[in-house]
Amino acid sequence: MLSRVASHLYWMSRYLERSENMARILDVTQSLAMLDRSADSGGAMTPIVITEAQAEFAATNLPATYANVIAFLAWDRQHPSSIRNCIEATRENARAVRGSITSEMWENINDTWIAFQEKQKNIDPMMTGNEFFEWVKERSHLFRGVTFATARRDQPYHFTRLGTFIERADNTARILNVKYAEEAPDNFEEKEQDRETDYYRLSAVLRSVSALEAYRDTYRDVIDARRVAEIMIFDAKLPRSLRYCMDETTLVLDELPESSGRNARRIAAEINVRLRYGTIDEVLEYGLKRYLADFLLDMVRLGNAVNAAYMELH
Amino acid sequence: MHTIKPPPASHYDEMLAWTGAGPAGVQVQRQLQSSGGQVQTQTATVGPRDHYAPYSDWLTRTAEQSLTQRRAQADLLFRRIGITFTVSGDDSGTERLIPSDVIPRIITADEWSYLERGLTQRVTAINHFLADIYHDQKILKAGLIPREQIEGNAQFQTKMIGVKVPHDTYVSITGVDIVRNNDGKYYVLEDNLRVPSGVSYMLMNRKMMMRLFPELFLKQTVRPVEHYPALLLQTLREATDIDNPTVVLLTPGRYNSAYFEHTFLAQQMGVQLVEGQDLFVKDDFVYMRTTSGPQRVDVMYRRLDDNFLDPLAFRPDSALGVPGLFQAYAKGNVVICNAVGTGVADDKSIYPYVPDMIKYYLDEEPILNNVTTYQCRKPADLSYVLANMKDLVVKEVHGAGGYGMLVGPAATAKEVEEFAAVVKANPSNYIAQPTLSLSSCPTFVESGIAPRHIDLRPFVLTGRSVRMVPGGLTRVALREGSLVVNSSQGGGTKDTWVLGDEGDGDVTSNMEGK
Repeated sequence: MLSRVASHLYWMSRYLERSENMARILDVTQSLAMLDRSADSGGAMTPIVITEAQAEFAATNLPATYANVIAFLAWDRQHPSSIRNCIEATRENARAVRGSITSEMWENINDTWIAFQEKQKNIDPMMTGNEFFEWVKERSHLFRGVTFATARRDQPYHFTRLGTFIERADNTARILNVKYAEEAPDNFEEKEQDRETDYYRLSAVLRSVSALEAYRDTYRDVIDARRVAEIMIFDAKLPRSLRYCMDETTLVLDELPESSGRNARRIAAEINVRLRYGTIDEVLEYGLKRYLADFLLDMVRLGNAVNAAYMELH
Repeated sequence: MHTIKPPPASHYDEMLAWTGAGPAGVQVQRQLQSSGGQVQTQTATVGPRDHYAPYSDWLTRTAEQSLTQRRAQADLLFRRIGITFTVSGDDSGTERLIPSDVIPRIITADEWSYLERGLTQRVTAINHFLADIYHDQKILKAGLIPREQIEGNAQFQTKMIGVKVPHDTYVSITGVDIVRNNDGKYYVLEDNLRVPSGVSYMLMNRKMMMRLFPELFLKQTVRPVEHYPALLLQTLREATDIDNPTVVLLTPGRYNSAYFEHTFLAQQMGVQLVEGQDLFVKDDFVYMRTTSGPQRVDVMYRRLDDNFLDPLAFRPDSALGVPGLFQAYAKGNVVICNAVGTGVADDKSIYPYVPDMIKYYLDEEPILNNVTTYQCRKPADLSYVLANMKDLVVKEVHGAGGYGMLVGPAATAKEVEEFAAVVKANPSNYIAQPTLSLSSCPTFVESGIAPRHIDLRPFVLTGRSVRMVPGGLTRVALREGSLVVNSSQGGGTKDTWVLGDEGDGDVTSNMEGK
């Protein structure tokens, strides 16, 4: 398989996953906005901080209101990680390798892009709402479903999956890091009056990674910050936890040509081992913020190693 | 329900013909120009040509609304599948659909077998010609073609002189542009010997028609074209003597106007679609970069012009090609299809000599007609062209895609005058031909069913033998009265049906007449 094709497939699915994650973050942001009437609104900037878009947003000179932030992250043409640009990048990468994916996969992505252009005409950016975010998530689910149901389990499939899980792990870590580590002190001692707001904040975090039901099933108890961190980092069965994403990444890397991928496999295994045998107590002792910062750096190392192993052209 | 409106003058000549009185006939006023120049009017009867009768019958019984619906369905499918082309000269890289008409163009078995014989002969002679001019140059020594016509030609690649091309097959894939004139005869307009495109539209049109109108394919035997990619792969594999060669398709990338076709053909053949950056040359062998390391490439179906193939051998500023590729090619370590330097034979200044090539190399009479061509480099031809420009089509010798040409009858006096000045300034850059009356076929346009002019591009494959699928790409000029069928100039396409033998009844054709 051509290295260039591997790279396009990997980025195709990273961008699609990124558009979905952005939709998830914005959806939750919007529901929190309804609680946050105080209008001091550090809250509106949260999605900008999570996705590290501070510089791009500042360049627009717009006030940091919920509506502005959501419109910017959903539709802005200048911001590389806006939902719009992620969907376009997904489609462009797919188009570059349309011969290497099934026609159902290509037609699904192309359809998404065509339908997106219609939405762009019909939706007022300042009124972007839940319906649009649900649509983005649904298109992403649909593509994964089509991939699952039609693709041969060979290299194109593996590179597509690799992009999904690396992007997803990165995103989950970012949500935890910002949404959470900045708001709650590392020792997790909560004041009584914060309980109520925390309940909504924490359940929003869980919802953003589709983990609210899983939390209830696992703990059958009130939502508290420590357990939320635990389930999002260590749960082996939750498809958006760091542990799950790295289990999958490790499995996918084992399917790729061995000769060139040693370093990437080793980095993935090291990250994976820490998630398999770590505990939330150790993490809190080390400092959640520090732990997540390390994890995000590890993901960059892994991304570079994968690139060097399979995708570099020169 | 609707009927085809009786055509003015000789329109719809693809489908309808002047007949004797018959039940299917429609009485129309027919205008004829007598030898004295006066116009006579007579009443005559028009009916469908026999091989169009079943389709015409179906069409008159089908509601226009149903055609509209199916056309909308087709547009949706084409867009969804992403069968688009990028308009050249348009920076934004707009993707457009090539309009695909829902009314087919139909060719009889007899007509096709005539075309097939003629095309085989023509392409065979052209391959002999290319091998000759890059080696012994016998045809130049025999004085049949002036030497300066070849050696002064920008498409003549001096680097190819003496380079051995396997089996002397220079042109593996040819797209020959043919028109049916109002005299009922077919004429070759142009041989496309470099990187002819459009075959994917031929295949997609058929797929779409079978999906939208299955009932029509039960009525008549339409010969299949779907095996084209298999024939193409066979042709490419036969281009080398290596057993089980690695074949790739080289594309300039996804901003090229024909990118859809490149991905489609690569996928259908099951070969890698590569860009220049995927390839490298080491010790005069060509490799592609894969996730498991370098892999040798043996045959390359390139969809890139000569000039862009190798920055070391041709244009140094080309980033699309592969440095060192030509050297590997010249050493015989990789086969490039079509060969480098074939453009010299499809140049419009060489076109008039093709019948001579057929006689010289094959010792046969040419089967297909050439269009009379005036070469402006000859003083006598130039003065004829300048005097008659409003009746002629004037083309640039190296032009393609419908650019840089003048269609005399459709041009204003001012346009004719301006173009005359351009021709006079550089006569050898132009040729002129009489305006052919391209046949016109019923076409479903905005205003309903109306006649539009069409041409035909069959694709001829040369491996160890010459092969082609029956038919080709029919292009249609969608603007009323227009003779320019190029997709970059508002052309569309039609499915092209070559009928099986049994469906033709007693049709006899006279197109072989001289």
